[in-house]
Amino acid sequence: MRFGVRRELSTPERIGVFGVGVLLAGAVWPTFVGATGLGLPCPLRTLTGVPCPGCGLTTGAVALSHGQFGDALAANPVILGVGVMAVLAVVLVPLRALGIVPLPRPWSAHQRRRMGWGIALLAAASWVFQLFRLGVS
Amino acid sequence: MQYANWITRVGAYIVDYLVVLPFTVLAALLDSDGGALYYILLLIGVVVGIYNRWFQAGKTGQSWGKMALGITLVNESNQQPIGVGKAFLRDVAHIVDGIICYIGYLFPLWDSKRQTLADKIVSTVVVKKTW
Repeated sequence: MRFGVRRELSTPERIGVFGVGVLLAGAVWPTFVGATGLGLPCPLRTLTGVPCPGCGLTTGAVALSHGQFGDALAANPVILGVGVMAVLAVVLVPLRALGIVPLPRPWSAHQRRRMGWGIALLAAASWVFQLFRLGVS
Repeated sequence: MQYANWITRVGAYIVDYLVVLPFTVLAALLDSDGGALYYILLLIGVVVGIYNRWFQAGKTGQSWGKMALGITLVNESNQQPIGVGKAFLRDVAHIVDGIICYIGYLFPLWDSKRQTLADKIVSTVVVKKTW
């Protein structure tokens, strides 16, 4: 593949690039909140008192972007997975653009389905974690 | 038909938001002490937003933000503009996108048709505009 030729990124690459954005946002989030007073509340928890699987990701992203791995893990372990994908994307996408690493092969429908179930299990586990961490308010 | 990617859709949403932001900012500067002008500015912002997202986008497929980013909102079945009523319903369906930590808004990152949950509910897709 010639350098500079645009291609459609694979789903893991897209999520990894998004993860880079999340970590960059996490680095500036405390400053933004301090200056504006704005936040990102969980709609489900605000309305019902029940935390969702994504609760703690903002706190985790802020901690991870500042190198506080323990705090990130305690807030929501999923953020560490996002971090790993972000690092992989930063490494792999340029290497693939340069032709040094082969392009990803599309997954079969069966593989995508299996990954979907895996993600659903991960979300359920994260939800249980948040219910224990935050309880129902 | 090429589906619009997530970052392009975010960019279009930001442009749509920037269109109504001046009215909100002016109203905030006045505060409710500004009397009628405060409420008039808020009302103008709401009207502009409604026109842009329901009438403009529903009839032509392109809100001003989508126009700026070269993407268009169409029915999944016939690739035609979705109409004002469906554009309104789609915005109501965005409640589902936001209710669990906004995860529905991230669906275009991995969905094969780059749809949010609201898009799936009302059977719409956002595609790159082909001239």
